[in-house]
Amino acid sequence: MSRRRGGKIMERKALLISPELCIGCKACQVACKSWNLLPATKTKNNGTYENPPDLNGYNYNKIRYSEIPSDKNPVRWLFVSQRCMHCEEAGCMKICSTPGALYRTKDGAVATNPEKCIGCHLCLAGCPFNIPRYGKDDKLSKCTMCADRMEHGMIPICAKTCPTGAIIFGARHELIAKAKKAGYAKVYGENDLGGLGAIFAFKDAPKIYGYEDKPSINEMIILWHKYLKPLSWIGIGGVVLGSALHYFAVGPHKAEPPKDSEEVKDEAK
Amino acid sequence: MKLNDNAMIRKEGPFAIINHWALAGSCILLTVTGFAFLYRIEIIGTIFGGFTAMKHIHNWMGVVFTISLLLSIPIWFKECSAYDKDDVAWIKVAGGYLSHKVTIPPMHKLNTGQKLAYLGVLGMGGGIIASGFVIWLFPGSQTLMLAAHMIHNLCFIGIAIFIPVHVYLGAVANPGTMRIMIYGTVPVWWARKKSPKWIQEVEEGRSHH
Repeated sequence: MSRRRGGKIMERKALLISPELCIGCKACQVACKSWNLLPATKTKNNGTYENPPDLNGYNYNKIRYSEIPSDKNPVRWLFVSQRCMHCEEAGCMKICSTPGALYRTKDGAVATNPEKCIGCHLCLAGCPFNIPRYGKDDKLSKCTMCADRMEHGMIPICAKTCPTGAIIFGARHELIAKAKKAGYAKVYGENDLGGLGAIFAFKDAPKIYGYEDKPSINEMIILWHKYLKPLSWIGIGGVVLGSALHYFAVGPHKAEPPKDSEEVKDEAK
Repeated sequence: MKLNDNAMIRKEGPFAIINHWALAGSCILLTVTGFAFLYRIEIIGTIFGGFTAMKHIHNWMGVVFTISLLLSIPIWFKECSAYDKDDVAWIKVAGGYLSHKVTIPPMHKLNTGQKLAYLGVLGMGGGIIASGFVIWLFPGSQTLMLAAHMIHNLCFIGIAIFIPVHVYLGAVANPGTMRIMIYGTVPVWWARKKSPKWIQEVEEGRSHH
């Protein structure tokens, strides 16, 4: 399962998302729901074709419709798939309190095991992309890059369904090479957070597509999990060691009863 | 009235004894389960019947700890916030714990270390309780959650260092102290040595025991 437990990433797989190729048909959204057996959620018309308005426990993948007019074109629609990025340095996995609720597949995806999730919502606070949601029975619910399909040699359902090649699946290094060959000097997610598992061929600044230039895990999580956590062991170890040392070097404060105690006892009778 | 050295004198009442056991029990369970969450220790999760069951135990033990800590305030707060020059002297000789040659200044019912320990537990316990309830009840806000997580963990480090010292000093380094936790009484000669000011007050009739 997770790499720490002996499993090895054979070859890191990724999804290459090219907004310029996306026609906003949402076939990937539908296919995702279908494969993952996710029910429909009722939404309201809020003046855009973007629907549902946000990811939730029953929507792992959403096409964001951004209207960003440019100098040349007064109407410019950007469609970009919003989903789990399968970070190499995953904030959710760092902060999760339960072994196995989030795990790394041999293809490098961040997959979930809702049965093990205890519903503490910490992963939600750990994610730099605001992705994890809670679904059925208040359990963690998010895109797993179709870990179940990949296990059986099939490609993620969104990539399989996409009619234009806006979402393609493959070996991560090959996809990066492919995007660079197609003229994208910078591939979003190539090196961010140790390298993302969902990489983006952006023509413009990431901000326009709704992504931060430099995504990062919150400093508080790094501070705690990298630097302070070892202190708690050092602290407890130090106390145990210090107590043992004190016991043998200085010794306990023995309080002896007064020597004439027997006489006192007699008097008391 | 001089007290008989071999008689027993009550140091803590039943309410305080029960309160201390509730604090100690919940604190130990909270520490063990908290450590299991922090380091994802599967074997501890298994002992408690899985991580979900362990979460409920952790949360509800937190409630027990909260109530016990609140109820401990009327028992010990006043006593633990009174300090005088003997307390300063006590700190200067480190309570006599580093050498048996120093003279330990006369103490009241509780020594300076015990009083400071109580205030420490109250302060850090307050922090860990407040942040714990935020994590439990308000998981919606990312900033609030991370800040609460941080406070929870920082207070945890403090308590995880503090409590073992307290246990060592009470159970091992000061023979005769443990019985207070069980019976609440100590021999008068022992109290005369450890808490001379208190015994003096009792003998002069200024204080009830």
